[in-house]
Amino acid sequence: MQTPIRIIEKSRPMRYIPLTEEEKGKILKEIGVSSFEELICAIPEEIRVKNDLNLPQAVCEEELLEKVYNIAKKNANFFEMKPLVGAGAYRHYVPEVVKSVMARSEFYTAYTPYQPEVSQGTLQTMFEVQTHLSRLTGMDVVVPSLYDGASATAEAVLMAMRLTHKNKIMLGALLHPHYKETIKTYTAPHDVEIMEIPFENYLTDINELERNLDDNVACVIIQNPNFLGGIERMKAISDVVHKKQALMIETVTESLSLAILTSGRENGIDMFTGEAQSFGMELNFGGPYNGFLATKNEFIRQLPGRIAGETVDIEGKRAFVMTLRAREQDIKREKATSNICTNHALNLFAIDAYLSLMGKEGLYELALLNAKSAHYLREGLISTGRFNGFAYPFFNEFVIKAKDPVEKVSEKLLQNSLIPPLRLSELFPSMENALLFAVTEIFSREDLDRIIDIFKEGV
Amino acid sequence: MKLIYERSVKGRKGYSLPPDEFEEINICDMIPEYAISKEKKNLPEVSEVDVVRHFTNLSRLNYGVDTGFYPLGSCTMKYNPKINEKLSTLDSFMYAHPCSDTKLVQGSLEVMYELEQYLKEITGMERFALSPSAGAHGELTGVLIMRKYFEDKGEKRHKMIIPDSAHGTNPASSAMAGFEVVEVRSNGRGTIDIEHLSSLMDEDTAGIMITNPNTVGLFEEEILSICKIIHDKGGLVYYDGANLNALLGIVRPADTGVDIVHLNLHKTFSTPHGGGGPGAGAVGVKKHLEEFLPAPLVSECNGVYCFEFPRKSIGRMRAFSGNFPVLLKAYAWILSVGREGLRNVSQASIINANYILARLKPYYRPSYDRFCMHECVLTGRDYKEYGVKTLDIAKRLMDYGFHPPTIYFPHFAPFAQETMMVEPTESESKDTIDEFIDTMIKITEEAKEFPDILRSAPHNTPVRRLDEARAARVPILKLEEK
Repeated sequence: MQTPIRIIEKSRPMRYIPLTEEEKGKILKEIGVSSFEELICAIPEEIRVKNDLNLPQAVCEEELLEKVYNIAKKNANFFEMKPLVGAGAYRHYVPEVVKSVMARSEFYTAYTPYQPEVSQGTLQTMFEVQTHLSRLTGMDVVVPSLYDGASATAEAVLMAMRLTHKNKIMLGALLHPHYKETIKTYTAPHDVEIMEIPFENYLTDINELERNLDDNVACVIIQNPNFLGGIERMKAISDVVHKKQALMIETVTESLSLAILTSGRENGIDMFTGEAQSFGMELNFGGPYNGFLATKNEFIRQLPGRIAGETVDIEGKRAFVMTLRAREQDIKREKATSNICTNHALNLFAIDAYLSLMGKEGLYELALLNAKSAHYLREGLISTGRFNGFAYPFFNEFVIKAKDPVEKVSEKLLQNSLIPPLRLSELFPSMENALLFAVTEIFSREDLDRIIDIFKEGV
Repeated sequence: MKLIYERSVKGRKGYSLPPDEFEEINICDMIPEYAISKEKKNLPEVSEVDVVRHFTNLSRLNYGVDTGFYPLGSCTMKYNPKINEKLSTLDSFMYAHPCSDTKLVQGSLEVMYELEQYLKEITGMERFALSPSAGAHGELTGVLIMRKYFEDKGEKRHKMIIPDSAHGTNPASSAMAGFEVVEVRSNGRGTIDIEHLSSLMDEDTAGIMITNPNTVGLFEEEILSICKIIHDKGGLVYYDGANLNALLGIVRPADTGVDIVHLNLHKTFSTPHGGGGPGAGAVGVKKHLEEFLPAPLVSECNGVYCFEFPRKSIGRMRAFSGNFPVLLKAYAWILSVGREGLRNVSQASIINANYILARLKPYYRPSYDRFCMHECVLTGRDYKEYGVKTLDIAKRLMDYGFHPPTIYFPHFAPFAQETMMVEPTESESKDTIDEFIDTMIKITEEAKEFPDILRSAPHNTPVRRLDEARAARVPILKLEEK
C-alpha cells in the first residue's frame, strides 16, 4: 500500500525579505557560526517561544486586498454619506494635488530629518508651514507638528506652567471635551487645580472668568470658534486674563476659520494651539491629524517639538535644519521641554500643498462659503418650524434644538445618506434635544435645500 | 530652492471652489465685526502646476527607504509595502467621521480589534490600547498607568529607574509623568548592572523602563532577574518596544516578566515614518493593569464592535481613537507576513546585523565584541588620529548614496564619543549590504589618505554641510512678511 502524500504546511516565500536560504548559509559561514541559533545564544532558553504563534498563515497580496476590501464594506459608504457633524474633525474637499504630494515616497519613507543634506524636502516644507501658520495665527513662531490639537493644547498648558511656575488652570467650558480630557491626563502628575469657566449664550462668560481669576492662574484656555461653533470675544477675554498675569491660550479646531478671524497678535494671545486637519487631511476615523503650537518669540526656549530654521551650507547656499535642538529629549533627556520625538510630520506636506493651492484669496473665499452655507442651513431648518435656533455668532458650526426626539432626527438623516449632527445632551445634560451641526463646502445649496425639505415633510 | 512664497504672483490661482449659489451677503451679517480680520492672511498665490513642480522638486532633495539603504540604528527603517498605502485610502475608511455611530464603523473597529488580537499574541500581553500616537506617546501612557496603579493602591512612589543606555524619550517621559529619574549603570558587557539595580530599587521607586534588546543591540540576558528585583519591591517593569524587530516569534515580551509594553507600529510593523511621523505607539498591559488603560479601547460583544472606557482609566491621551490608517497598515503587514514570516523577519534582521558587524569590526572597532541582535554599534574611534570624526564618515556615506547610520548614540558605551549604530532590518538584500560594507571600508582608506575629503563631505548632495550653529544663534524660523 502506498503511503498517502502528507500535505506539508509550507511557508510561502516572503516578498518583503530578500535573503535567500543559500545566502543565509553563506552569511552564517562568514560570521563564523553554523546556525542562526548561535547568534541568539544570549536569550535564555526558558523565555523563548516554543510553539508557533497563533496567527494566520501569510496571505498573498490579492487575498489581502480582498480581505480588507470586504472589511471596509462593513463600514457605511462614507464617501457618499456626507457628515453634518464636525466637532473637531471636518470634511473638506482635499484637492488631488495634495494627495499626489503625500504619495511621494521620498517624503513618506523618510525618517526625521536628522541629516539635513539629504532631507531638504522635509525641512523646507516644515519652514514653509511655519510661515503659513504664523501668518494665519499672527504669532511669531510655530512648532508645526505635534500629534493633534488635543495633545498640542496639553503641551501648551505644561509650557505655561513652566513659564509661570503656577499650577492653576482655567478651561473654557466650551473647549472640545477630548481636549479637556487630554489636558487632565497630561497634567494629572503635576499637582494642578483645574477649573472650568462657565458659558452663557453659547459663549464664554467673561464676567465669571474675571470673578474667578486669581494670581495663581498659570493659563486660561479658550477655544475659538468654541466647541459649539461660537465666535468668542478673544480680545476682551485676553485683556481680563492679563490683568492677573496669567497666560492666554487660544485653541482652534476648525482652522479654516483662521482665514477670516482676527489674529493672535491683535488679540494679545500668548500661545495659539490648534488642529490643522482642515488643511488637506481626510477624516480617517479620527487621525492622524496635525497639532500645532504657536507662540511669541520670548517663549521660544520653552517650546516642545521640532522646528526648522534657515541657515547656509559651506558654499553659502540657503538651507534648512532642525534648530533650537537643546530643548529636545534626545539631547536634554529628563530636562527636555517634552518627550515628543515622532510627530505627525507627513501631514505638513498636506498643509503646505493645501495652503499653497488655496492661497490668500482661495482660503478666504472658502471660509466665506463655509460660513454662508452654515448660516443658510440654520435659517432653513428653523423655517421648517421643527427646530428652535439661538442667536449667537458662529462660523460653520451651530447648535439648534429639535422639537422632535433627536433619535428620530438622526434616523431620518441616516435614511437620506447623511451622517447626523452631534447630540449634545450626552456632553451637556442641560442641552436636551440640542444638535451640533457642521456645514462645509461639500454641501451645495441644492444639497442643503434637500436637507431642509426632509424636515418640511416632518419626521 | 525657492520657497513657495518666492513663486507667488498676485492674482494667480491654484484652487477651484464650488460655485457660490447663495444670495449676496455681507460678512458682517454673519460674523461680528470685532472678530473679522481687517486684512486677508498673506498666503502665497500660485497655480496648480507651480505647486506640483515645487513639491516634485522638493521630493528630489529627500532620501527615503524607497531611495536606498537607510541603516538608521534604533529606527527600523524597513520597507513600507505599497499595497498597505492603497488599503488605507479605501473610501469607507478614509472618509469615516470619528463621531459616527459605532454601527456605521464596524469595519474600522474590526480592523482595530483584530490588530489588537494579533499584538496580544505576538507579545503575550492581555490588552492593548491603540490610541497613543507614537513611541514616546506610548511611553507617557505607560508611565502614567504606573502612576495611577500606585495611586490606586495608596502608595506614593516618585522615582523611576532608567538604564544609562536608554533612548532620551524614556527619561523625558518619566519626567513628564512627574517621576524623578534614577540612572542604572551598564556593566562591561553592555547590559544592565544587576548589582547596581538591586541597590537602587526600593519602595519609593515605581519601577524600571527597559528596552530589550537594548540600544546597543544586545539582549538583556538577565531580564528575568531584573524583573524579579523590581517585582520583589512591588515595582512594575515597562518594556519599550523600539527594538521588537529582533524578537518576533522568538521571544514574547510578556514571558520575560514585563508588565507594560509599547510597540512602535511604524518601526516593527512596517508603517512608514513619514519624515518624522505619524506613527502609532500601541500600549499593552497584563491583567492587573487593564482597567488603567487610556480611553477608548475597542471591544467586541456578540460580533458587534464598540468603544470601551476602562473603569480607572488614566484618561485620554489625544482626541478620538487613534491613527487609524497606521493601525490598518500594521494589520495588513501582519497578515502579509503571517505566523512563520514573523520569525523570518527577526531572523533576517539579526543575520544581517551580525554580518555587518563581522565584516566591519576589523575597521570600526565595536563597542562590544559579541554577537548582536538586530543592530550593531561600531565606532570610528580609530580614525580620530587622522583628524576624522564619525560625523565625517557619516557625511561621506551620503556621497556614495547611503543614508548614514545613527551616530553619537548611545552616549554611554565605552568609546562612546564616536559610536555609530547600524540597523539593516530584514528588508535589505545581501548585495545592498555588501555594497554598504565595501563603501564603509573604502571610507577608512580615504580617512587615512585623503582625510580632507571626509572633513568637507558631503560633496554630491543637494546642499553641502550646514552651518547649524548659525541657525541656533540667530533663529530664522519663517519668511518675514514684507
